Amino acid sequence: MSTLGEVNLSSYLPLMVVVLMAATFAAINIVGTLLIGPKRPGKTKGLTYESGMNPVGTARKRFNVRFYLIAMVFLVFDVEIVFLYPWAATYPNLAMSDPDRVIWFWRILFFLFTTVVAYVYGYRKGVFRFD
Amino acid sequence: MNSGSIIPVLNLLAAGAEEGHASAGPVAHGPWWVALIVVLPMLGAMLCGAAAALKVRSKLPAFLTVGLLGASCALAVSMYLELAGGRSITVSYRWIDFAWGTGEGQRLVANFGFYIDSLTCLWMLFVTGLATLIALYASEYMSHDQGVGYCRFFAAFNLFVFSMACLVMGDNLLLLYLGWEGVGLCSYLLIGYFYKRPAAVAAAKKAFIVNRIGDLALALGTMLAFVHFGSVEYAVIFAKAQPYIEAIKSGHLDQVPFVVQVIPLLFMVGAFGKSAQLPLYVWLPDAMEGPTPVSALIHAATMVTAGVYLIARTYPIFLCSEYALPVVAWVGALTALLAATIGMAQFDIKRIMAYSTVSQLGYMFAGLAFLSSAGAAYHVFTHAFFKATLFLCCGAVMHGFAGQLDLRKLSGVAFMKGWGIVGLAMLIGCLNLAGVPFTAGFFSKDMILAESFVTMGPGYQVLGWVLLLTAGLTAYYTFRVFFRVFVGPKTFEPGDELHAHDDHGHDAHGHDSRGDAHAEAEHGPAGHAAPGHGHDFHPHAPGWAINLVLLILAAASIAAALPYFMGEHGGWVPKLVHESSATTISDGHGSTAAFLASGLHEPGASAHGTLFGQDPHKIMYYVSGAIGAVGIAIAFVLHYAGRKTAGTSRADALVPALGPVAGWARRKWLVDELYDALVRTPLWVLSHVFHLIDKLLIDGLVNLFGWLPRAAAQRLRPTQGGDLHGYAAGMAVGLGAVLILVWMLIL
Amino acid sequence: MIERLSLLYPEIVLFLGACLVMVIGLSPKREVRSLCGFASAGSLLIAGLLAINTSAGNTTPLPGLLPYVKAILAGVGLLLVLLLSGVVDRRDEEEIAAGRRAFSAMRSNRAEFHAFFLFSLMGAMLCATADDLIWLFLALELTSLPTYVMVAVSTRGTRAQEAGVKYFFLGALGAGIFLYGFALLYGGTGSTNLAQIARELARQGAAGDINPIAMAGLMLAVVGVSFKIAAVPMHFYTPDVYQGAAAPVSAMLAFVPKTAGFVTILTLVSCAGWSYGFVDGRDVYGAGFALPAELRIALWVIAALTMTVGNVMAVLQTSIKRMLGYSSVAHSGYMLVGVLAGAAAGEESGYSFAQSGVAAVLFYLLVYGVGNLGAFAVLASMERRNPDGELVEADEFGDVRGLCRSSPLAGWTMVLSALSLLGLPPLLGFFGKFGLFSAGIAAGDYALVVILGLNSAIAAFYYLRLVAVSLLDEPQGSTYAPTTILARPLAGAVSALGVIVLIAFAEPLMQAATKAGRVAPMTLGVSPEGVRRAQTTELPEPGTGDRGAPSGAPAPEGEHDGAGH
Repeated sequence: MSTLGEVNLSSYLPLMVVVLMAATFAAINIVGTLLIGPKRPGKTKGLTYESGMNPVGTARKRFNVRFYLIAMVFLVFDVEIVFLYPWAATYPNLAMSDPDRVIWFWRILFFLFTTVVAYVYGYRKGVFRFD
Repeated sequence: MNSGSIIPVLNLLAAGAEEGHASAGPVAHGPWWVALIVVLPMLGAMLCGAAAALKVRSKLPAFLTVGLLGASCALAVSMYLELAGGRSITVSYRWIDFAWGTGEGQRLVANFGFYIDSLTCLWMLFVTGLATLIALYASEYMSHDQGVGYCRFFAAFNLFVFSMACLVMGDNLLLLYLGWEGVGLCSYLLIGYFYKRPAAVAAAKKAFIVNRIGDLALALGTMLAFVHFGSVEYAVIFAKAQPYIEAIKSGHLDQVPFVVQVIPLLFMVGAFGKSAQLPLYVWLPDAMEGPTPVSALIHAATMVTAGVYLIARTYPIFLCSEYALPVVAWVGALTALLAATIGMAQFDIKRIMAYSTVSQLGYMFAGLAFLSSAGAAYHVFTHAFFKATLFLCCGAVMHGFAGQLDLRKLSGVAFMKGWGIVGLAMLIGCLNLAGVPFTAGFFSKDMILAESFVTMGPGYQVLGWVLLLTAGLTAYYTFRVFFRVFVGPKTFEPGDELHAHDDHGHDAHGHDSRGDAHAEAEHGPAGHAAPGHGHDFHPHAPGWAINLVLLILAAASIAAALPYFMGEHGGWVPKLVHESSATTISDGHGSTAAFLASGLHEPGASAHGTLFGQDPHKIMYYVSGAIGAVGIAIAFVLHYAGRKTAGTSRADALVPALGPVAGWARRKWLVDELYDALVRTPLWVLSHVFHLIDKLLIDGLVNLFGWLPRAAAQRLRPTQGGDLHGYAAGMAVGLGAVLILVWMLIL
Repeated sequence: MIERLSLLYPEIVLFLGACLVMVIGLSPKREVRSLCGFASAGSLLIAGLLAINTSAGNTTPLPGLLPYVKAILAGVGLLLVLLLSGVVDRRDEEEIAAGRRAFSAMRSNRAEFHAFFLFSLMGAMLCATADDLIWLFLALELTSLPTYVMVAVSTRGTRAQEAGVKYFFLGALGAGIFLYGFALLYGGTGSTNLAQIARELARQGAAGDINPIAMAGLMLAVVGVSFKIAAVPMHFYTPDVYQGAAAPVSAMLAFVPKTAGFVTILTLVSCAGWSYGFVDGRDVYGAGFALPAELRIALWVIAALTMTVGNVMAVLQTSIKRMLGYSSVAHSGYMLVGVLAGAAAGEESGYSFAQSGVAAVLFYLLVYGVGNLGAFAVLASMERRNPDGELVEADEFGDVRGLCRSSPLAGWTMVLSALSLLGLPPLLGFFGKFGLFSAGIAAGDYALVVILGLNSAIAAFYYLRLVAVSLLDEPQGSTYAPTTILARPLAGAVSALGVIVLIAFAEPLMQAATKAGRVAPMTLGVSPEGVRRAQTTELPEPGTGDRGAPSGAPAPEGEHDGAGH
């Protein structure tokens, strides 16, 4: 295990911590709901979960447009995250004195502004109302 | 179109705008207000039009016109004073500036600019002056027609003055052409003023159509001038024509390109149309169907001199041509003679005056051709006044006697109550026209007559004799009118227009027969109504406006002789002409003219012809005076002495002796019939042929082209069935087709 | 970087405006909602003012494009905002105002509609700013995507939805084609930057022949973008979509995507053509066309077919909207003549409107936009209630019969617009067509100019029919009444006034178009000797020397040296 010994295992330690935290969080959730959640079993509830769809039957079937809305809102925030990562990874590399730094900063703020607008729009449109 | 525009930017009345390429000569920038001379009549036309729209029934349009034209006249006077012998150009508005390249002759510039020199001033002085006076006259003369027609009359009147001012003052051929067409249009509108009368409409159409022939030539000449000189602006053209004149002066006629020889010929045809010369004079006598003030202003004094002006204005080009001026000489002299002979045989006094106008215009052209542009201009000037006087007198008679114009039915008018001033003015006019010594007409005519013996050498002296003979004939027919109508026993027979005075429903042919039928009727001196007219008729004497205008004009006709004694070289008018582009003086008498250098006679030999072995300049006074006196004497014997009635005279006895010639002359040498046979009939046949071709071939083609798109569309329609798949397939196939096509064409 | 950003100020303003509209359009308060139109107009106004003050500073071969294109987009956009009022949500808003129903954000389309409109305009503006193929593609799609939705929601009922679906699918197909073209262009030149593509194409062209892949890409791109301008063979959707959509939206379709498409085509073609006749100030091919023969042939055929098909089909129509749709096709064909004529190669002197096809196209876009908007505005301002209680716009020729008498404003708007579209002097349309004609003649493309003339004659047929029906016929039996939305006839009146008033400003507008259409002189950084060496080495290969078209043939060595044009 000499090769393994050469790898600095300590650098993987934070990763391990995250994995551990995730597992713990999942476990606590499952156990917690088992313990304190009400239990009303039924036929529908026992079905395989397909985002609310009946998994058995014809596939050509109309379903609530709200699914699309949710999907789109998800997309907005998901894409936001995708863009934020590379920005966050490169921004610190710019020197403090670099004039581009300001522009980079405003760029991401502008981008965040668009997502905020999207959120406000979605909110006003009633996307988040599930009644 | 680089710097220029198809939308000229509005810079109206841009004072003294610089004009970079108008390079020629000592041309200064003129004052801005000369534009007002043009603008005021236009304003008048608009106001009169507005008055027509508002249905004004007062004399307001007339006084508006008189005021505006008077202001215009005053401005013309101050323009003359300001000019003081120089030349100036005022660009008021950049009208056309169109370039399609940077090279020579690839830029067309025609501004609303005014080329002011002494020639312009001369013309503008009498145009605006006479227009003002005649507008005043018309205010009374047209008063029976107050209302929309009155407004229409004065609107067209103003428009005419505007057009004439454009024609005279424009600094380029295009603006001249605009004015040229404008006066033609106004002439048409005013001849056809009584549009309910077929004869007037026919006359208007005739005038317009005959003029088109000349206008076409002028348009072609203008285009050719642009093609050759690269500009339509006088300043540029004159500068570029100068080398040709120099070349001719040094005897190198062959250095003048053919095109330059053609341009004046075309201009000449244009001038013949507008100024009623052979063979295009036929419209002018018929144009007398218009109201008399119109006949006086447009068809006697001003518009018909536009041709003379055109030649005078473009004189430098005419001097370059070998043939233009000789042709002008022949045509002018022959027209003078022909019109005079016709005038002798007519009975309608207005028509006689019309033929005398044609005849006198012939003199002017001859004068131009004999390198006496000064004489021609002076004759234009004097003629304008005395001919206007004569016409207005005829108009007054017509106005007072219910449209009667037949000299066989009127007699002794001058002695009737209230007609004294008319008679006096008529006498002065007749004396001028007949060329009685010491009248203005005498001096101006003599300048031309003398020059006709001087300039062209022996080969052309025959023209001088023709003109002299014409002078005698002129004296005869002029005083024939005077002795028949204005003096002698007091008797008359009214015309048939008791209500609408000017609405005289006669034409040339119907007139004679009716005239003969009534000729024997005797009328009491007190003026009883003719049989057939149901009630008493009293001629109404002219009112203050007509009398005032007649007096002023008569005085002006006399005073027009004064300029002859002012200054050297034949007086004030020649001085003006020689200060302008129409001068001949700087080169001596005619030594520059191309046709002289062309060997018609020896340039080295004396250019001066002689008359009775004397210098014609000295002897002409006596010769023409004598001939005029003979003419008047014959008229006196034949038409006054011993005449008892209006209808008959001793001349009647002579008519059978002349055989058919008298009849031919009365029927205007059958020129109208000749034109009918030579021009109208073939055209009529041709038009029917073309009509058939048009109907079968052209319409067929047009219908085919109308049918083709529809047929094609019917084929294409299935591609637009609304089917999404089909569309997508169509797009794909189309893309493929384009790619394959390109691929095939490239390989 | 900030300087580059300043080129985008108009777009940024439009974006902010769109964000604002999107939010306030959903407000539960009726007054706030009704501010949508004003907010759109305001942002367009600001964008237009900013655009006018933008300095031309792009790095593409057509550097002057952006101020002019953005300004006319904003200007005509302002009129479109007027015209678009009340297209969506009208009945709902009436019911809400009457208190019969509460506001439902989910049912309301107003916010999206106006925001999409602004997005579409923004996309068109971005096309003018683009200096990169990817940017260009995104901008084009940003122009088109909102319009698909706008078509679909513009009227109630299945027709608009059918039109929207057709438009979307065919648009996607078109986008696919030009995207493929872009990809090939990248493959053939090694760059997505337009300036570099132009340089590379010029280098290849000067050296003998253009890489076939690049050329194929260019062709695919041009044909694909033809969808945006509704040119043959991508024109099929036009009549159906124009008829299915509400008239105001059709008016927009005829202007915004068309402008974006033409800007794109001009940009693409400028990379391949015109300018590289002059390489390093040296005339490579001799004066005249410098378009590669392939592109020239393709554009020639497309132009001729487009105007002919458009005009011919328009003759038969009974629906005015369909007719205007086909005429939109025809007008694209006219403008392609200008594209083909191109700009006289980048010399400063002697560069005038009459000689520049690019300037003619740019000017014609404005002329067409204004005239077309008037015609659609008339249709939009006449309406009747159908049995379902829905308001239906006028469409058939019979619906505008005697309009000049029954409602003079609309009637005269129609007459003036139709006459301007026909190109009757002295209306604005004449000056537009004049530019195209003179550019075609200056370029020596007489055959195409003749086709253009013949087509103008055919166009006279249906435009004059429109004039005759509304001007000369007696009004009879029309159940249509003027709309209650006053903004629509106002938009029409303004555009009708525009075809007259703008005549007075035609001169400065033409100058601006000329400035916008100026092609930047190409510099390869290669000496003439270097180019010549490249030529001599490439020439002996078979197949490169015998191109048929006058433009393409590479000159034998030395022939053009000193041949000053």
